[in-house]
Amino acid sequence: MSARRPLVATDRAALMLQLVPYLIGKGEVSIAEAADEFDVTPDQMRAMVEKLTVIGLPGDGGYWQMSNDLFDIDWDLLDQRDLIVITNSVGLERAPKLTAREAAALLAGLQLARTIPGVGDTELFSGLLAKLARGASGIPAEVIVAPGPVDTVRDAVATALRRGVAVSFTYKAPDAAPTTRTVDPVKVHIADGQWYLQGWCHLREAMRTFHLDRVSDLRLTDIAITHAGERAPGWFETSEDDVVARIRFPEAVARLLGDYLDRAMLETVDGMTTATMRVADEYSLRRLAVRRGGEVEVLDPGAARRATAEWAEAGLAQYR
Amino acid sequence: MPANAPAKNPPEERLVNLVVALMATDQGLTKDTILTSVSGYREQSVAGASKDALEKMFERDKESLRGLGVPIETIGDWADPDDLREARYRVPSTEYELPDDIEFTPSELALLNLAGGVWSESSISEDARSGLRKIRALGIPIDEPIIGYSPRISLHDPSFPLLQQAIEQSRTVRFLYLKPGEEQPRTRHVQPLALVEYEARWHVFGIDLGVRADRTFLLSRIVGPVVLTREEFDPMLREGAGDRALRGLEEVAARSIALLEVDPGTEAALRLARRATPAEQGIHVPYVDAYIFAEELASYGPEVRVVAPPELRDRVIERLAAARDLNGAAP
Repeated sequence: MSARRPLVATDRAALMLQLVPYLIGKGEVSIAEAADEFDVTPDQMRAMVEKLTVIGLPGDGGYWQMSNDLFDIDWDLLDQRDLIVITNSVGLERAPKLTAREAAALLAGLQLARTIPGVGDTELFSGLLAKLARGASGIPAEVIVAPGPVDTVRDAVATALRRGVAVSFTYKAPDAAPTTRTVDPVKVHIADGQWYLQGWCHLREAMRTFHLDRVSDLRLTDIAITHAGERAPGWFETSEDDVVARIRFPEAVARLLGDYLDRAMLETVDGMTTATMRVADEYSLRRLAVRRGGEVEVLDPGAARRATAEWAEAGLAQYR
Repeated sequence: MPANAPAKNPPEERLVNLVVALMATDQGLTKDTILTSVSGYREQSVAGASKDALEKMFERDKESLRGLGVPIETIGDWADPDDLREARYRVPSTEYELPDDIEFTPSELALLNLAGGVWSESSISEDARSGLRKIRALGIPIDEPIIGYSPRISLHDPSFPLLQQAIEQSRTVRFLYLKPGEEQPRTRHVQPLALVEYEARWHVFGIDLGVRADRTFLLSRIVGPVVLTREEFDPMLREGAGDRALRGLEEVAARSIALLEVDPGTEAALRLARRATPAEQGIHVPYVDAYIFAEELASYGPEVRVVAPPELRDRVIERLAAARDLNGAAP
């Protein structure tokens, strides 16, 4: 869920405009449920509902906003049981159109969802795209997510998830020997165009995350999954990260390093940033450093720095 | 609750009162009527606020509400449309409300719920959730959620939200763009038409006014802030722009094909396999941008050798040499 940030008056007005149709649609709803739906605290929700009762039609001829002109709620239910029920409504009953930005955010999300095998057919998608376009108050900015190439491993994982069976495959982590794994699939994470399978690894007897590009010879087994309910650690979390590394790069390069820095401590002096982070082993940094050749310097540990220079040198040797 | 609320009530109350009043009228309300009758203005009128101050407040409120997508219509004098003294204001409910013939099925809603959760960047994520709330308020029964997938779109490019706004409002932008191989960034003046994620990188596609032609820019090469100008362009230019941009990128990839030799079983072999087709000796891999592909190939070190084209090979060698030199001696 999004962070509960402070709301300005315009945001609060937008929420109130959405609140009326929501409450009318619900009939009766608890403060807690409504707060969750609107990403606000229960106290904020209560304040919004109370505020609703001083809003309504202007009235006229000196009889300004008489009680019939205003929204009203069942105060007893609110005070005693934390329930919201609208008892008098004077407008705003139907949900407002989506703003162009709201429609654009959903349209782009749909394009990413579309790359997932088996979640919806073309007809479902095109129907939704048309509805969103018609339900928006402005023409949304076109935000396109290009589909990647077709992939049999991704398709097979989708099938295994649907059937609830374990998969078995060869896994080749960088700089490690290939292993054969049997995994109860739990979740597929899609980030920056890469697919990662998170699941219960029968070999390690723990939740693990596998980059699907590094998976080969995947086949479905007949073993029904048994560990789907295990607590899943943060999906990049592994207990094997025990080397502390330091790298240095020009400040502007930070955003090109992307998720790599998510768990790093950053310090910037004179436009040069030093990042301190835990990594799996001293070899894992050399690929990152050489990718950004000349921009990312490995400071610590010394073995990682040497590995980086040797990695680059070995690459260069092929061209002599 | 008392009908005569205190004179200074919060602005959001005034905004929502204004919407209710403007939706309840067919022929529209004049500014005078609004300022003397709608709660929030009326109290301040009575308390003796200057007409000028109230009118300014009304103008600001109109802009805020339009920003929220509330369609406030101005009905001017038919004889003199520029004379707004007697103008009437209203919010037509057909423009404001979700059309009542739009319905969403439970499976569509399940898909939208998944789609609404992809953004990691907070302002866009809030847009998505707000849009979903409006749809959910239509009272659609909830289908089984789609489980097993957690798709995410990360945005590391700070220029994205402003470019999106520029496209939405059909306004031209200026930004500094650093083309690889050039020493200094140059200012580009662009009519932005679409944002495209291709191979996990964001591009803005538009008309570069400097050369009067379609161009695609990588957001990661935009230096510093994007400036939103007041110059508007014909929104019709945006039609089909996304497809045009995508086709353009695909055409570039189709004519830029690298010939590579890869060590089987290595990280390089695995990561390139999905994009590769076998060649007589080695593999063929299409790419869009030689500089970016060179970064990836350099990261594989000795696992891959570029046979052709020479400009790609040279860039890989450059990167390898720079990385070796920077990390050579002890720091």
